[in-house]
Amino acid sequence: MFDVVQILNYLFEIFSSNMMDIPLIAPIVDFLMQIPLLNILVALILWKPFFAVVIMPGLGVLMLYLLYIVWYERKLTARVQWRVGPLEVARPIRGAIQTLADGIRYFFQEAIVHREAHRPYFVQLPLLAFIPVLLPILFIPAGSAVGIYTPYSIQLIVTFLALIPITIVAIGWAANSRFAYIGSVREAFIYFAYEVPFIIAVISMIFLYSSGDAYVAVEKQSMIPGALLNPIAFIVYIIAMLMATSRLPFDIPEADQEIAFGPFVEYSGILFGLVMVLAYEKLYIMTLLFTILFLGGWSGIYCPLLGDLNGPLWLFIKTVVVISILVIVRSIYARYRLDQALRIGWTSMLALSIMALIVGGVVGVWLS
Amino acid sequence: MIRLEKVRTDPVETLKRHAEAFGEAVKQAIKPDRITVEYPRERRRYPECFRGFIVFDKDKCISCFRCAQICPANAIQMEYFDNAYPGIDYSKCIFCHFCVDSCPTGALNTSKVHDVAFKTMEEMKLSAKNITKIPDIVREEILTVDYYVDKNVWKLVKKKELDKLEVEPKPVVVKARKAACAEPENCLGCRLCVNVCPQKAIAVERCEITIEEEVTGTGCILRVDTEKCTGCGLCVRQCPMQILTLEEVGE
Repeated sequence: MFDVVQILNYLFEIFSSNMMDIPLIAPIVDFLMQIPLLNILVALILWKPFFAVVIMPGLGVLMLYLLYIVWYERKLTARVQWRVGPLEVARPIRGAIQTLADGIRYFFQEAIVHREAHRPYFVQLPLLAFIPVLLPILFIPAGSAVGIYTPYSIQLIVTFLALIPITIVAIGWAANSRFAYIGSVREAFIYFAYEVPFIIAVISMIFLYSSGDAYVAVEKQSMIPGALLNPIAFIVYIIAMLMATSRLPFDIPEADQEIAFGPFVEYSGILFGLVMVLAYEKLYIMTLLFTILFLGGWSGIYCPLLGDLNGPLWLFIKTVVVISILVIVRSIYARYRLDQALRIGWTSMLALSIMALIVGGVVGVWLS
Repeated sequence: MIRLEKVRTDPVETLKRHAEAFGEAVKQAIKPDRITVEYPRERRRYPECFRGFIVFDKDKCISCFRCAQICPANAIQMEYFDNAYPGIDYSKCIFCHFCVDSCPTGALNTSKVHDVAFKTMEEMKLSAKNITKIPDIVREEILTVDYYVDKNVWKLVKKKELDKLEVEPKPVVVKARKAACAEPENCLGCRLCVNVCPQKAIAVERCEITIEEEVTGTGCILRVDTEKCTGCGLCVRQCPMQILTLEEVGE
């Protein structure tokens, strides 16, 4: 009994030593901290590493973002194409909880595993795919809140992002259907086409800031945002981001009209729900990195009432605004053929990224 | 051999077009030009000549059977109470509205109820009593929608007021006609016309006939009471010698 109390006290010490300081909810927190056992929970939630990973730029707002972006994308595309879009679920707010309704439906739908599938992999891989998607959140700092601080955070995020297509290719292989096969082969092709320019663009930004530390990157952008410091890397990053997340001009692996959602064609029920949001989560992570590298990260107008929440909030707002602008390309462009996309990736984008590398080196010398 | 050359594009022009597409998309996202009608809640205002549920005015009907005769789908059955009145079978009706157009008195009229639906086949057979007024329908719409079409502008105009379901009866295009006997000497005196006339406007009188002062005998002569005659033409169809016609009266 004594040990348990001691351990709890020890944990409470750790949590309360590094808490988010938010003046807006300070009275409530102070009141809750006086209640035994509840205070350790409050301290855990407001503990900076936990807050960063589970709540603000992490899982909590990721869920909110998913609910928002799927509806927003459908609605925006519908408006541009003179349709109405999702409407009948919650009509007064123009169908805003459509995604929630879809999610609940996926949850209770039967997840069919067809006979030809490699059963263990087929069921496991949608869940395994979340590991490389969610691990970068650990290393993405937002103001003073950061899961694990490391001076190599940008490199680590890029590394985990590079792992995601492997799970998608594996999903296509495990599904063992012709559409899934074509989809995973296309995914592999596209993967090589965008990954090289993407990594070179990120390396050019690391050259520019002469560090892989997100804090240094944000600090050096305090005067001029990275998008102006290295506009070529900015363009390459945006195009690579569209390719990596299968946005419409490069919707090649998932091409609805040709191969019916590619690698994910055989999934149903909650497994489909999981693999469907994979691209959106990847988009979220990539845009967080994009915001840190090019748009000044979490720096913004400081509101004293929010205290430590300023950083995560600004990062989140910038991310959502960038994604909201990006999804409009879906309603403008038609899909490229695989060979066209590969040509873009291996010629112009590669050339642009190498130019970005030179610009990054030159500006980096000028900045230091 | 024909060699296809690669299409040369001007990069500046390409960029301009990309920007144009993006600008158009942003414009549409902010203020879309969409012309969708959100149907049960908004309803399009149709012109009055659109063919809908047929409304019957019993006071105007002269029981002429013209609607039943002209119906190409055989959907109109005449029923007898007081007089012969049309009942419409909506399982057969093709909404050609020949009956409305052919009605000499305007007793049949269209209405703005365009989505006629029934629960059973039996309900679709409506007698004349049931079509004298517009059926009770639940109106879900809040707005009435109109398309404004200019040369290159397609716009939706939404109005708060609801459209009236009744349609003003059109002026009758069929001219007033009265029955008349064209060749009285060929009359058989069979009295079929007398029996069929719903208004009892025809009377047969016996008379003496003399031809070339040699042959004499008794014959029949028709007297049409023009006051009573409604010009329905039933006698014209009934006459075995086809000597009755309808004469146009007035303008």
